[in-house]
Amino acid sequence: MKDTTNAVQEAVKKVFDGLDVVLGWKPGYDSRHMTPAFIRKAGDIDQMVFNPLCVQNLSGYLVNTLDAGDAEKESRIGICVKGCDSRSVVELIQEGLVARERLHIIGIPCRGVVDMKKLERLRPGLESVEQVTVESDEVIVTTAGNPERFPAEKVLAHKCLQCRYPNPVIYDELIGDPVAARCDKDAPPPVVETLDGLSLEERAGFWSSELDRCIRCYACRNACPLCVCQDNCIAETRSPKWVSQRSGLPEKFLFHLIRTVHLAGRCTECGECMRVCPVGIPVTLLMEKMNHIVKDLFDYEAGIDPELKLPFQGYDPSESGI
Amino acid sequence: MEDQQATTTQEQKIRIVGFLCNWCSYGGADTAGVCRFKQPTDVRIVRIPCTGRMDPMFVAKALINGADGVLVSGCHPNDCHYSVGNFYARRRMEAFKRFLPFIGIDTRRFRYTWVSASEGQVWQQVITEFTEEIHRLGPNPGLAGTAEAGRIPALAI
Repeated sequence: MKDTTNAVQEAVKKVFDGLDVVLGWKPGYDSRHMTPAFIRKAGDIDQMVFNPLCVQNLSGYLVNTLDAGDAEKESRIGICVKGCDSRSVVELIQEGLVARERLHIIGIPCRGVVDMKKLERLRPGLESVEQVTVESDEVIVTTAGNPERFPAEKVLAHKCLQCRYPNPVIYDELIGDPVAARCDKDAPPPVVETLDGLSLEERAGFWSSELDRCIRCYACRNACPLCVCQDNCIAETRSPKWVSQRSGLPEKFLFHLIRTVHLAGRCTECGECMRVCPVGIPVTLLMEKMNHIVKDLFDYEAGIDPELKLPFQGYDPSESGI
Repeated sequence: MEDQQATTTQEQKIRIVGFLCNWCSYGGADTAGVCRFKQPTDVRIVRIPCTGRMDPMFVAKALINGADGVLVSGCHPNDCHYSVGNFYARRRMEAFKRFLPFIGIDTRRFRYTWVSASEGQVWQQVITEFTEEIHRLGPNPGLAGTAEAGRIPALAI
């Protein structure tokens, strides 16, 4: 872990002169949380870290915060990405929202990040975490010199347990060696598969009870690197008025269906929506299912190749069966 | 709305929303009417400029707010008035149709099809078949009330 942190800092130092800002992670308000870092001064590079607590997908900042889509702009942006984050960057480049030439991408192969909510539930009162190491089926958390081992499936984030792209798919520089994926590239997402095995009524029951908790805080939308409309989101406009101000189940379903439909074939399954949900709704599952359908129909996966056209922005007259 | 429902019989209490493209299927439905083909009366038709205008959210909003079925119909592939509108539409429609069961909506409640302006008879057949299917399925159970319907799986998420 220390090694990766050092390697990230070294990599940033090497290229920092040509860049105006570097996106990375730094320690947050306590030892269990890392926070996004915007490095604008060479002196701040030493703050940067990389460890399995660096959960945030930084690519979301590229569009609305830094306006990286305008190739004419001079400022150059450095960004640290894990495997999943890199797919979001590719997707943004694909959609013309980010200019590739403005980016310097530092790719970091990743064995998974810790879902702090899961860990706190499993082991309450965890303080002063010194080190977290992710191994293939175990996560080792060291507090006050005392290492504790947890089974990986109990503490890693949902997205990491079904990770198919642990290594960045786009980068200018790769830190460390590529690591092995936890899941096969073509395997269907396991939790979605479990849900698919249920009856229609059971699935309706599952989603009704999950989405019933939704308070429509729109955190999922705000955290999503690909929900780029943000302030113009049709979930909040009065004209057209897709979703009313009522707080019933239909409104909650509609809001999440808006996200599903608008992210169809675009979502890179970085899991930010699920991570930020204050009421713990597994929002990502909707997008995972939709992506699986898109893969089935069009043999397409989002955020893999910056040159590819989006499936719903094109057509193929020779397609049959649909 | 209440009055309208009160005057209809139990058997007819089915509401189907039909989204028909201006150039083909709307004309097709018109042809069926002009030819005096007998048609079921459960469908409310919304005219759209082209199936390319179809947002899957139209379907979602209709089904979630209580419609019992949604039918989308447009020009045959390769015959779109705007050349390619229905090519775009069918990709979206198919993906969304396959997605519906995942949130517990019967995929049979949504159908998309192609009917040209001259095919009055085809329209009669399509709408009769679809209406019969929706009658067999019965009223849309909706979202509420299904929460207790089954064991809710304890997922490792």
